[in-house]
Amino acid sequence: MSSAPSPASRRPLGPLALGLESSANKIGIGVVSLSGEILSNPRHTYVTPPGHGFLPRETAQHHLVHLLPLLRAALADAGVAPADLACVCYTKGPGMGGPLQVAAAAARALSLLWRKPLVAVNHCVAHIEMGRAVTGAVDPVVLYVSGGNTQVIAYSEGRYRIFGETIDIAVGNCLDRFARVLELSNDPNPGYNIEQLAKKGEKFIDLPYVVKGMDVSFSGILSFIEAAAIEKLKNNECTPADLCYSLQETVFAMLVEITERAMAHCDSKDVLIVGGVGCNERLQEMMRIMCSERGGRLFATDDRYCIDNGAMIAYTGLLAYAHGVTTPLEESTFTQRFRTDEVQAIWREKEMPVLSNIHADAMAEVSKDEASMPTPIIVDS
Amino acid sequence: MAAAASTPEPSSGWDFKCNFEVDYGSEEQASIVYKTLAIDKELQPDKVKREMTVSGGKLFVHFEAVEARFLRASFSAFVDLMVLVTKLVEEYGVADS
Repeated sequence: MSSAPSPASRRPLGPLALGLESSANKIGIGVVSLSGEILSNPRHTYVTPPGHGFLPRETAQHHLVHLLPLLRAALADAGVAPADLACVCYTKGPGMGGPLQVAAAAARALSLLWRKPLVAVNHCVAHIEMGRAVTGAVDPVVLYVSGGNTQVIAYSEGRYRIFGETIDIAVGNCLDRFARVLELSNDPNPGYNIEQLAKKGEKFIDLPYVVKGMDVSFSGILSFIEAAAIEKLKNNECTPADLCYSLQETVFAMLVEITERAMAHCDSKDVLIVGGVGCNERLQEMMRIMCSERGGRLFATDDRYCIDNGAMIAYTGLLAYAHGVTTPLEESTFTQRFRTDEVQAIWREKEMPVLSNIHADAMAEVSKDEASMPTPIIVDS
Repeated sequence: MAAAASTPEPSSGWDFKCNFEVDYGSEEQASIVYKTLAIDKELQPDKVKREMTVSGGKLFVHFEAVEARFLRASFSAFVDLMVLVTKLVEEYGVADS
């Protein structure tokens, strides 16, 4: 993943933090500086066989096994010792209980062993801050799309406010579960394999389009396409590729619609896509077209940053730490439900110095006049 | 690590008990493990109770449950986590005493 230059060649600015993330099927540990430099960000994914999802207990077991090797790698890659760190950050929620507990307990132990303060971090807010840091987007409307969350978010008066969201399952959950129906591989992730297959789709199959005001719903679409898949594939009326293509076009159009409405409401021209589904290039392309029609810009990142990782937790925790926020040990719990708008984004109130360290390799700010097509990934063998 | 599971006394409802201790050989290390694991409460306090104490560099753990399956689930999840925390203490702990 992140191929970092040798530690000696870097002199990061400001304090450093270690971040531990384990809310879903990825466990990641990262070291970052307050200037936004990512010194290390190793991660390991629990990949289940085709047709299967990940269950909390097995996922937690996976995380328990990989935590210590990842921790060693994170410190070694960054070339830092525990004494160099300002704080230890972990994901408080939202996520699956068992998996969340692994990072929470490890963070507590490290905080006690290293005598460093703890900072509990909201996973959703961490995605947003990582996206802003990596792309340089200042105050965008944020579409946060992953296997567990689907929200349209914008900052207003001290908090990230949710303007629209799914009323049932997340868009990534819808895609992942459809991948199970087709028994696509979960490696590297089911969404990626749907995306590749969708590129070969030719025939559009009408699916329910479910936007309710500012909110969206995916569970009915999933039920419909699960039934349609069995029926139509049996009768040779379409291919799995056609179904993937139709599903992507439908759900992404819904997401673009509510994002556009939030932009109009907030009078904002910029959009930032974060979360695991955010690395889907077709979603980025559709959003880019909408943004360019409104004279705005799309900010997006690739799989290194938009998929769950430790650096995003470290960076967001460090922002809070730099503004005097730490989590006492007694309060260092985890929670499956933790809404984005519960967090006082104190670092946004007092205007932070503009992040100096925009990653040139992140895909950011696509100019609107360019006929911008993402580089196609060749899938045919 | 010595573990001893035992069953009934005349029923108070909490018939399924389990005691075990881990010798860390250091009061500080044992208390770090204690403090780390004490934060997360048992999820079903009406079905499983857990008590922990630290003494003489050892961590003592006592479970009580109303059914064997609850005891098994809580015990097993707890020990898995305790093993990780113990590894962290071994890796990064400064041995005192």
